[in-house]
Amino acid sequence: MTISLKVNGKPIKVACNPGDVLTDVLRNAGFVEVKKGCGTGNCGICTVLLDGVPVPSCSLIAGRADGHEITTIRGVEAEAKEFADFLVAEGADQCGFCSPGFTLNVLAMKKELKSPSVDEIKHYMAGNLCRCTGYEGQLRAVVKYLEAQHE
Amino acid sequence: MLHEFTYGAPVTREDLFKLLDDHGSEAKILAGGTDLLVNIRNGIMKPAVVVDVKKIPRYRDISYSVQEGLVIRPAVTINDILRNHEIQENYPLLQECGHDLASYQIRNRATAIGNVVNASPCSDMAPALLCLGAQAVIASSNGTRTLPFSGFFTGVKKTVLQTGEVLEAIAIPASARGAKGAYKKLKRINGHDLGIVGVAVSIKDDILRIAVSSAAPTPVVTPDLPADIPAEDAVAATMNIISPISDVRCSKEYREFMVGVFVRRLLAEVRK
Repeated sequence: MTISLKVNGKPIKVACNPGDVLTDVLRNAGFVEVKKGCGTGNCGICTVLLDGVPVPSCSLIAGRADGHEITTIRGVEAEAKEFADFLVAEGADQCGFCSPGFTLNVLAMKKELKSPSVDEIKHYMAGNLCRCTGYEGQLRAVVKYLEAQHE
Repeated sequence: MLHEFTYGAPVTREDLFKLLDDHGSEAKILAGGTDLLVNIRNGIMKPAVVVDVKKIPRYRDISYSVQEGLVIRPAVTINDILRNHEIQENYPLLQECGHDLASYQIRNRATAIGNVVNASPCSDMAPALLCLGAQAVIASSNGTRTLPFSGFFTGVKKTVLQTGEVLEAIAIPASARGAKGAYKKLKRINGHDLGIVGVAVSIKDDILRIAVSSAAPTPVVTPDLPADIPAEDAVAATMNIISPISDVRCSKEYREFMVGVFVRRLLAEVRK
């Protein structure tokens, strides 16, 4: 089957099998910034925005994404760069493999929640696993980043 | 690729039933996909046809009225439930349970109906539905039947659904409106995880119900108990309905102990 997607604002058509998951479809089409993690929806590494809403791309079959708008980390480069500075400042970048999915979820949270409490941040971000940082550095980075947005 | 299958996305329920009738047990219904795709990937399920129910417009509805109560359709996601003000006001226990289901990204895709049809003993939505006396509305090309959720689960990952049938709605009665409720789920980690045990308690009109997940082959609920029942009697009534096992997550004894702890804490909370 052939599906039409709008990835980072650019319309594309890709040939795929109905059983392909969106992570693979995107990576095969050159969007290798979408990382593959557990493949079971648990780790959050493959997070993309589907019509602006964060979803695990490993749990979405290609046919379902047909006609929808996908945003990867490259589609939000300026914001991602700004947030990345906060991660680096807190020593929370480390291997960086979870950063694309983590950052997309942080940006989605920024849009959805006005000024989230630490507990709300933890709850919103619980689906983004990180094996390097122990989360505290990430949490500091998110809190400082959100504070900076209000200044 | 996960596995070779064809993808059907009917936009009317008539087309949905036709697809299900044509393919029989070869067809699997795709709602949120957060359980089905994992099962396909692990080789547990090998459907020839995957039938998407999210494209049927009326399946996205949450409808509520004071007389009829609440109806949740198959494409309603957990985050749809968490954002709904009528549910927040009238059936808060549903939100308490939904809040603990997996992670934010998953809740954007996962559906309440998918969660109960998957029939995992650790279902997060089932305890709320059991406490609130919800009905399962099951439809097929042969018509519609309705039964209470207390009779819906038949075993681990098993339900009364027959080939060709769809759980078309969760109907929560108007009589459960405003029920006080609370849910606690014990997990191995603070983040998102499968439950070790989950306990929900609801009180409405002098009736107390306690539902438990992960402590029997199916989610279970106590008979109607008097709202002023002493805590220890409530614990005893709960022990009567559970039959936990020891597994990789914890022992049978720990599960029993923690169900007791949770019942006491939840009762204190809802009686405040």
